[in-house]
Amino acid sequence: MSRVDCKNIWKIYSGNVIGVKDLTFTCGDKEFLAILGPSGGGKSSTLRMLAGLEEISKGEILFDGELVNNMGPNERNIALAFESYALYYRLTVYENIAFPLRAKGFKKEKVNKMVKEIAESLNLEPVLNTKPSGLAGGHQQRVSLARALVRKPRLTLLDEPLSHMDQRIRAAIRAQIRRIHEEFGNTTIYVTHDQEEAISLSDRILIIFEGQKQQIGTIEEIYNKPVNRFVANFVGQPGMNFINGKIDSTNAVSILLDGGKQEIKFTGEIDSKYIGSGIVIGFRPQQIKISHKKEKESNIPARVKIVEFQGDSTVLTLTLDDQKKTEIKVNIPAGGTRYKRGEECWLELQPKFVHLFNEQEKAIVKR
Amino acid sequence: MSKKFILKRTIFWILTIIIILVVIGPLIWIYLTAFKSPNDIFTSELSRQFIFTPTLDNFKRLFTQFAFFGSLLNTIIISVASTIIVMIIAVPAAYSFSRWNTGGGHILFVTISTRMFPAVVAALPFFILFRNLGLLDTHIGLILLYMYFNVSFATFLLYGFFRDVPIELEQAALIDGYGRFNIFRKVVLPLVLPGIVTTSVFCLIWSWNEFLYAFLFTRSSAKTMTVLISSFWGSIEIQYGPMAAGAAIGVLPTLIAAWFMQRYIVRGLTFGAVKG
Repeated sequence: MSRVDCKNIWKIYSGNVIGVKDLTFTCGDKEFLAILGPSGGGKSSTLRMLAGLEEISKGEILFDGELVNNMGPNERNIALAFESYALYYRLTVYENIAFPLRAKGFKKEKVNKMVKEIAESLNLEPVLNTKPSGLAGGHQQRVSLARALVRKPRLTLLDEPLSHMDQRIRAAIRAQIRRIHEEFGNTTIYVTHDQEEAISLSDRILIIFEGQKQQIGTIEEIYNKPVNRFVANFVGQPGMNFINGKIDSTNAVSILLDGGKQEIKFTGEIDSKYIGSGIVIGFRPQQIKISHKKEKESNIPARVKIVEFQGDSTVLTLTLDDQKKTEIKVNIPAGGTRYKRGEECWLELQPKFVHLFNEQEKAIVKR
Repeated sequence: MSKKFILKRTIFWILTIIIILVVIGPLIWIYLTAFKSPNDIFTSELSRQFIFTPTLDNFKRLFTQFAFFGSLLNTIIISVASTIIVMIIAVPAAYSFSRWNTGGGHILFVTISTRMFPAVVAALPFFILFRNLGLLDTHIGLILLYMYFNVSFATFLLYGFFRDVPIELEQAALIDGYGRFNIFRKVVLPLVLPGIVTTSVFCLIWSWNEFLYAFLFTRSSAKTMTVLISSFWGSIEIQYGPMAAGAAIGVLPTLIAAWFMQRYIVRGLTFGAVKG
C-alpha cells in the first residue's frame, strides 16, 4: 500500500567496505518486487536500509514520496520476515503472531480475529498453542511470515523467507505469499538468491551484484534482453553459454573452429564501431536447436560430453571443435531425441536469440 | 579388557576419590564437629570421631554467648544489598556493551580490569579513603566495596548472556512497533533471566563468603559472620564447637545454591571457553 523510491542509495560499512553502491529503483504501489542476486551481493543490506535497521550512508529512500531516511523501524509501518525467523521462543505461536498487533494497541477480539485469519491462510491453526521451539524449521518460517503479514503494513519485506523449507512446502507457501499479497493489496519486496522463487512470485525483478543494480524489469525482459553478461549467466537454468568470436558485419559474427571460420547470424542493431572487433557471443541452452545430422551450412559441429537427465528435461554438455574445446550446455525437453556420450551432433543458433557482449561485458545488440 | 584400560580406570577412580575427599572432607568435619560435645571433639578414639551422641550445645552457645545473630544479619544485609545494586548497574551496562559496543571496548576493559589485580592490593588505599569518609565499620562501606568488586564480574558474565540473545529478535520487535525500553523488558529480559539469576547467585555467594575486606574494614557494628567465626581462633584457645556450628550455618546457603544451580555454575565456569 505504498510506493517505494530508492534514489542513489549507498551503504558504506566501517573500513570503507561498500555494501550497496549508488542503487536506484522504484517499487510501485501494490507491486511485488524481487531483489535477486548471489550471496553477499547487497540484497539484505538494501532490505535492511528499507526496514530502517541500517543507516543509509548516502541517498534517499521515500515511501509514497515521504523521506524515511531518518525514521526508525517502528515509525515506518513496515513488516519484515527474517531469514533466521527471529521468533520469540518463550511465547506460543499465537502470541508470536499477536505480538505486533499488541504493540499497536488493538483490542483482544480484533487481535484474535486477525491472528486466526492469517493462521488459517498459512495452515498454522493446529500449532497456535505450541511454542516455536517445538516446531520444525518450515513451520517456524511460516510463523515468521504470519507475524510479518498479519499487520497489513504499508510495505512488506521478506528476507529469504522460504530458504529453510523443503521443496514441496516451498511451492505451497509461495502460492500463499502471492495470494496474501494480492488479497491485502500489499507492496512487497522479496529478497532471494533463488531465481525460481523470484520468477514465480514477483511482478518485476531487480538484480543486484556486488552492491550494484544490474537490471530491473519483468522476467521476460531480463531473460530475453539481459543488459550484461552477469545477468545473462545468472538468470536461467543453466545460465547462458558464451563463446569468443568476432563481429564481421552488422548482422553476422564468426567463431573459429578447427574446421575453419563458422558464421553466426544475428538480428537487431549494433553500433558499426564494433565491426571487426572481438566479442563474446551468448546464447541460452533452451534456445538452441540440436540435431544428429547437419541440416544447414550454418550448423555448428559439437560432441556430447555429459548427459544429465533432469526429469522434465535433459541437459547436455557439449564440446565444440575449437582450439579450447569450449564447453556449452543445451537443454532439450524430455521425450525428444536422445543423445549419448561421445556422439557427434549439430547446433543451430537462431539469429533472434543470439546475444553479443563487448569488452565491458555489456550487451550491444538493440532489439 | 586390556591391562592398560584397567590401569587407566584405576588411576581415574583413585584421583576422583582423592578430589572428592579433599572437597567433602572439610564439610564432613564441620558438620560432625558442630554436633559434637567438647569431649567428642578432642577425643583420640577413632570410632568416636564418627559415632557419638549428637548435641545442639554448640549452636546454643553460638547464639547466646556470641553475637552470631547480629553478624549473620550483617552478612545478609550487606550481601543482599550489594548484589541488588550490582545487578542494577551491571544489567544495563552489560546490555549496552553487548549491543552497542559502548566505549569501543575500552570501558568494558576498564570495568573488567578491577579483577586483574589481587584484591588485597586495593585494601590500603580503600582503607585510607574509607577512614576519611567515615565508612569504616559501616554496612554502606562494605556494600560499596563488594559492589566495586562484583560489578566487573557481573558485567562480564552478563555480557556473554546478552550476546547470546539474537539481535534479530530485537530488530523484529523494533519493526513490530515496540520502543527500546519495551523491547528490553518484553523480549530481552525474559531471555536473559536465567543468566541474571545465576550472576546474582554468584555475587551473593561471593559477598556472603568474603572475609578479607570484612576483616579489615569492620570491627563491631558491621562485623560479618565470616569475621566472627574467625574470632573463635583465639590466642588462648580455639573454640572448635561454636566455630564449626557457625561454619555449618554459614556454608548452608552456598551449598543449597550450588546444588540448585550446578548446571548454571558449570556454564559460568566454562564461560568463554566456547566463544569464538
